Amino acid sequence: MIRSRSFAVFAIVFAVVYPIAYLIAVQKNYALFTYHPAMNQFGVGVQKPQTGPAMYWYGWMATAGIVASATGLVAAWLPERWTRRLRSGWSWLVPLCTMLVFAYLLRNYFLR
Amino acid sequence: MTTMLLILHGLLAVALLGAITHQAASVWLPVRKPAGSLVGRFRAVSAASYANTIVVLYLCTATLGGIIYPEYRLSIRIVLEQLELWTANGAFELKEHIATVGLAILPAYWHFWRQPLADEYARTRAALTAMLAFIVWWNFLVGHIVNNIRGFGS
Repeated sequence: MIRSRSFAVFAIVFAVVYPIAYLIAVQKNYALFTYHPAMNQFGVGVQKPQTGPAMYWYGWMATAGIVASATGLVAAWLPERWTRRLRSGWSWLVPLCTMLVFAYLLRNYFLR
Repeated sequence: MTTMLLILHGLLAVALLGAITHQAASVWLPVRKPAGSLVGRFRAVSAASYANTIVVLYLCTATLGGIIYPEYRLSIRIVLEQLELWTANGAFELKEHIATVGLAILPAYWHFWRQPLADEYARTRAALTAMLAFIVWWNFLVGHIVNNIRGFGS
Protein backbone atom coordinates (compact mmCIF):
# COMPACT_ATOMS: atom_id res chain seq x y z
CA MET A 1 0.00 0.00 0.00
CA ILE A 2 2.84 2.36 0.96
CA ARG A 3 4.69 1.41 -2.22
CA SER A 4 1.54 2.13 -4.24
CA ARG A 5 1.12 5.55 -2.58
CA SER A 6 4.76 6.41 -3.22
CA PHE A 7 4.44 5.45 -6.88
CA ALA A 8 1.23 7.47 -7.19
CA VAL A 9 3.07 10.53 -5.83
CA PHE A 10 6.01 9.91 -8.15
CA ALA A 11 3.73 9.43 -11.17
CA ILE A 12 1.72 12.61 -10.54
CA VAL A 13 4.81 14.74 -9.84
CA PHE A 14 6.59 13.28 -12.88
CA ALA A 15 3.57 14.04 -15.10
CA VAL A 16 3.49 17.62 -13.79
CA VAL A 17 7.22 18.42 -13.76
CA TYR A 18 8.35 16.70 -16.96
CA PRO A 19 6.25 18.76 -19.41
CA ILE A 20 7.14 22.02 -17.66
CA ALA A 21 10.86 21.16 -17.54
CA TYR A 22 10.70 20.08 -21.20
CA LEU A 23 8.97 23.30 -22.21
CA ILE A 24 11.64 25.36 -20.43
CA ALA A 25 14.41 23.21 -21.93
CA VAL A 26 13.00 23.78 -25.44
CA GLN A 27 12.48 27.51 -24.96
CA LYS A 28 15.86 28.19 -23.33
CA ASN A 29 17.66 25.40 -25.22
CA TYR A 30 18.87 23.57 -22.11
CA ALA A 31 19.87 20.41 -23.97
CA LEU A 32 21.96 17.98 -21.96
CA PHE A 33 23.66 16.92 -25.16
CA THR A 34 23.55 17.60 -28.90
CA TYR A 35 23.36 15.08 -31.70
CA HIS A 36 24.93 15.79 -35.08
CA PRO A 37 23.09 13.38 -37.42
CA ALA A 38 25.22 14.01 -40.49
CA MET A 39 28.35 12.96 -38.56
CA ASN A 40 26.55 10.50 -36.25
CA GLN A 41 28.20 12.18 -33.27
CA PHE A 42 27.03 13.27 -29.83
CA GLY A 43 28.41 16.28 -28.01
CA VAL A 44 28.01 17.35 -24.40
CA GLY A 45 25.68 20.31 -23.82
CA VAL A 46 24.42 22.69 -26.49
CA GLN A 47 26.67 22.75 -29.54
CA LYS A 48 26.36 24.72 -32.75
CA PRO A 49 25.57 22.91 -36.02
CA GLN A 50 28.71 21.57 -37.67
CA THR A 51 28.39 19.47 -40.82
CA GLY A 52 24.61 19.49 -41.28
CA PRO A 53 22.00 20.35 -38.67
CA ALA A 54 22.25 19.86 -34.91
CA MET A 55 19.51 17.98 -33.05
CA TYR A 56 18.66 19.05 -29.50
CA TRP A 57 15.43 17.07 -29.01
CA TYR A 58 17.14 14.09 -27.32
CA GLY A 59 19.05 16.46 -25.07
CA TRP A 60 15.88 18.35 -24.09
CA MET A 61 14.18 15.06 -23.20
CA ALA A 62 17.19 13.98 -21.14
CA THR A 63 17.26 17.29 -19.26
CA ALA A 64 13.54 17.12 -18.52
CA GLY A 65 13.77 13.43 -17.63
CA ILE A 66 16.47 14.00 -15.04
CA VAL A 67 14.68 16.99 -13.48
CA ALA A 68 11.30 15.20 -13.38
CA SER A 69 12.73 11.90 -12.10
CA ALA A 70 14.68 13.61 -9.33
CA THR A 71 11.69 15.74 -8.30
CA GLY A 72 9.37 12.72 -8.42
CA LEU A 73 11.70 10.59 -6.31
CA VAL A 74 12.10 13.32 -3.70
CA ALA A 75 8.32 13.81 -3.58
CA ALA A 76 7.76 10.05 -3.23
CA TRP A 77 10.13 10.08 -0.26
CA LEU A 78 8.33 12.86 1.58
CA PRO A 79 5.94 12.05 4.44
CA GLU A 80 2.31 11.63 3.45
CA ARG A 81 1.20 14.83 5.17
CA TRP A 82 3.39 16.85 2.78
CA THR A 83 1.98 15.27 -0.37
CA ARG A 84 -1.66 14.99 0.68
CA ARG A 85 -2.59 18.05 -1.35
CA LEU A 86 -1.46 16.49 -4.61
CA ARG A 87 -4.44 16.00 -6.92
CA SER A 88 -4.58 13.17 -9.45
CA GLY A 89 -6.11 15.61 -11.97
CA TRP A 90 -2.85 17.54 -12.16
CA SER A 91 -1.35 14.55 -13.99
CA TRP A 92 -3.43 15.40 -17.09
CA LEU A 93 -4.24 19.08 -16.61
CA VAL A 94 -0.64 20.34 -16.57
CA PRO A 95 0.47 18.22 -19.57
CA LEU A 96 -2.64 19.35 -21.46
CA CYS A 97 -1.81 23.00 -20.78
CA THR A 98 1.78 22.36 -21.91
CA MET A 99 0.51 20.90 -25.19
CA LEU A 100 -1.62 23.99 -25.74
CA VAL A 101 1.40 26.21 -25.04
CA PHE A 102 3.42 24.28 -27.63
CA ALA A 103 0.60 24.68 -30.16
CA TYR A 104 0.61 28.43 -29.43
CA LEU A 105 4.41 28.68 -29.75
CA LEU A 106 4.29 26.91 -33.12
CA ARG A 107 1.33 28.95 -34.42
CA ASN A 108 3.41 30.76 -37.04
CA TYR A 109 3.87 27.51 -38.93
CA PHE A 110 0.09 27.31 -39.36
CA LEU A 111 -0.68 30.99 -39.93
CA ARG A 112 1.68 31.74 -42.84
CA MET B 1 17.56 -0.26 -42.73
CA THR B 2 15.71 3.02 -42.12
CA THR B 3 12.90 1.87 -44.44
CA MET B 4 12.52 -1.35 -42.46
CA LEU B 5 12.45 0.55 -39.17
CA LEU B 6 9.94 3.03 -40.62
CA ILE B 7 7.62 0.17 -41.62
CA LEU B 8 7.98 -1.39 -38.16
CA HIS B 9 7.33 2.03 -36.60
CA GLY B 10 4.17 2.32 -38.71
CA LEU B 11 2.96 -1.19 -37.82
CA LEU B 12 3.46 -0.59 -34.10
CA ALA B 13 1.64 2.73 -34.46
CA VAL B 14 -1.33 0.95 -36.07
CA ALA B 15 -1.49 -1.54 -33.20
CA LEU B 16 -1.22 1.31 -30.67
CA LEU B 17 -3.90 3.29 -32.49
CA GLY B 18 -6.28 0.33 -32.36
CA ALA B 19 -5.65 -0.38 -28.69
CA ILE B 20 -5.97 3.21 -27.46
CA THR B 21 -9.06 3.85 -29.60
CA HIS B 22 -10.74 0.72 -28.21
CA GLN B 23 -9.92 1.81 -24.68
CA ALA B 24 -10.97 5.43 -25.17
CA ALA B 25 -14.27 4.37 -26.75
CA SER B 26 -15.04 1.96 -23.92
CA VAL B 27 -14.26 4.67 -21.33
CA TRP B 28 -16.08 7.60 -22.95
CA LEU B 29 -18.92 5.70 -24.66
CA PRO B 30 -19.49 2.64 -22.45
CA VAL B 31 -22.22 0.19 -23.48
CA ARG B 32 -25.02 -0.16 -20.93
CA LYS B 33 -26.49 -3.40 -22.28
CA PRO B 34 -25.07 -6.43 -24.13
CA ALA B 35 -23.62 -5.22 -27.41
CA GLY B 36 -25.19 -6.52 -30.60
CA SER B 37 -23.66 -4.37 -33.29
CA LEU B 38 -20.06 -4.10 -34.45
CA VAL B 39 -19.78 -0.57 -32.99
CA GLY B 40 -21.33 -1.77 -29.75
CA ARG B 41 -18.83 -4.61 -29.43
CA PHE B 42 -16.01 -2.15 -30.25
CA ARG B 43 -17.08 -0.08 -27.23
CA ALA B 44 -17.73 -3.07 -24.97
CA VAL B 45 -14.12 -4.18 -24.46
CA SER B 46 -12.54 -4.45 -21.01
CA ALA B 47 -10.64 -1.15 -20.98
CA ALA B 48 -8.28 -2.02 -18.13
CA SER B 49 -6.86 -5.03 -19.96
CA TYR B 50 -5.42 -2.71 -22.63
CA ALA B 51 -3.32 -0.51 -20.34
CA ASN B 52 -0.10 -2.56 -20.14
CA THR B 53 -0.16 -3.25 -23.88
CA ILE B 54 -0.65 0.44 -24.62
CA VAL B 55 2.28 1.44 -22.39
CA VAL B 56 4.60 -1.09 -24.05
CA LEU B 57 3.43 -0.18 -27.57
CA TYR B 58 3.82 3.55 -26.86
CA LEU B 59 7.37 3.06 -25.56
CA CYS B 60 8.36 0.85 -28.51
CA THR B 61 6.78 3.19 -31.08
CA ALA B 62 8.38 6.27 -29.54
CA THR B 63 11.77 4.59 -29.31
CA LEU B 64 11.65 3.56 -32.97
CA GLY B 65 10.50 7.07 -33.89
CA GLY B 66 13.50 8.44 -32.02
CA ILE B 67 15.85 6.10 -33.89
CA ILE B 68 14.59 7.11 -37.35
CA TYR B 69 14.17 10.80 -36.46
CA PRO B 70 17.70 11.81 -37.66
CA GLU B 71 16.83 10.52 -41.14
CA TYR B 72 13.76 12.78 -41.12
CA ARG B 73 15.90 15.72 -40.00
CA LEU B 74 18.45 15.16 -42.76
CA SER B 75 16.33 14.01 -45.70
CA ILE B 76 12.75 15.20 -45.21
CA ARG B 77 12.59 18.35 -43.13
CA ILE B 78 15.01 20.13 -45.43
CA VAL B 79 12.77 19.28 -48.40
CA LEU B 80 9.67 20.50 -46.53
CA GLU B 81 11.46 23.80 -45.86
CA GLN B 82 12.57 24.13 -49.48
CA LEU B 83 9.00 23.48 -50.67
CA GLU B 84 7.73 25.97 -48.04
CA LEU B 85 5.32 23.39 -46.63
CA TRP B 86 5.10 25.19 -43.31
CA THR B 87 1.91 23.50 -42.07
CA ALA B 88 3.38 20.02 -42.54
CA ASN B 89 6.62 21.16 -40.94
CA GLY B 90 4.82 22.69 -37.96
CA ALA B 91 2.59 19.66 -37.57
CA PHE B 92 5.67 17.47 -37.28
CA GLU B 93 7.28 19.89 -34.80
CA LEU B 94 4.13 19.60 -32.70
CA LYS B 95 4.25 15.82 -33.10
CA GLU B 96 7.70 15.58 -31.54
CA HIS B 97 6.69 17.78 -28.59
CA ILE B 98 3.37 16.13 -27.79
CA ALA B 99 4.92 12.67 -28.17
CA THR B 100 7.30 13.73 -25.40
CA VAL B 101 4.38 14.96 -23.28
CA GLY B 102 2.81 11.53 -23.86
CA LEU B 103 5.90 9.91 -22.37
CA ALA B 104 5.51 12.14 -19.32
CA ILE B 105 1.98 10.93 -18.56
CA LEU B 106 2.70 7.22 -19.09
CA PRO B 107 3.61 6.43 -15.44
CA ALA B 108 0.43 8.15 -14.21
CA TYR B 109 -1.65 6.49 -16.92
CA TRP B 110 -0.26 3.06 -15.97
CA HIS B 111 -0.76 3.69 -12.25
CA PHE B 112 -4.40 4.80 -12.51
CA TRP B 113 -5.26 1.84 -14.75
CA ARG B 114 -3.77 -0.67 -12.31
CA GLN B 115 -6.25 -3.30 -11.08
CA PRO B 116 -8.34 -3.17 -9.00
CA LEU B 117 -9.53 0.14 -10.46
CA ALA B 118 -10.24 2.85 -7.90
CA ASP B 119 -13.59 4.57 -8.52
CA GLU B 120 -12.35 7.94 -7.28
CA TYR B 121 -9.83 8.10 -10.15
CA ALA B 122 -12.34 7.34 -12.94
CA ARG B 123 -12.23 10.93 -14.24
CA THR B 124 -8.42 11.02 -14.17
CA ARG B 125 -8.27 7.70 -16.02
CA ALA B 126 -10.71 8.95 -18.65
CA ALA B 127 -8.80 12.22 -19.13
CA LEU B 128 -5.39 10.52 -19.37
CA THR B 129 -6.81 8.00 -21.86
CA ALA B 130 -8.35 10.76 -23.99
CA MET B 131 -5.08 12.71 -23.99
CA LEU B 132 -3.07 9.66 -24.98
CA ALA B 133 -5.62 8.85 -27.71
CA PHE B 134 -5.35 12.39 -29.09
CA ILE B 135 -1.53 12.24 -29.05
CA VAL B 136 -1.46 8.86 -30.80
CA TRP B 137 -3.99 9.94 -33.46
CA TRP B 138 -2.20 13.24 -34.13
CA ASN B 139 1.19 11.59 -34.37
CA PHE B 140 -0.10 8.79 -36.57
CA LEU B 141 -1.82 11.11 -39.03
CA VAL B 142 1.04 13.63 -39.18
CA GLY B 143 3.64 10.90 -39.62
CA HIS B 144 1.57 9.35 -42.37
CA ILE B 145 1.01 12.67 -44.19
CA VAL B 146 4.65 13.74 -43.99
CA ASN B 147 5.71 10.34 -45.26
CA ASN B 148 3.33 10.73 -48.19
CA ILE B 149 4.63 14.21 -49.02
CA ARG B 150 8.23 13.05 -49.28
CA GLY B 151 7.30 9.85 -51.06
CA PHE B 152 8.18 6.39 -49.85
CA GLY B 153 11.69 5.29 -50.75
CA SER B 154 12.46 8.47 -52.69
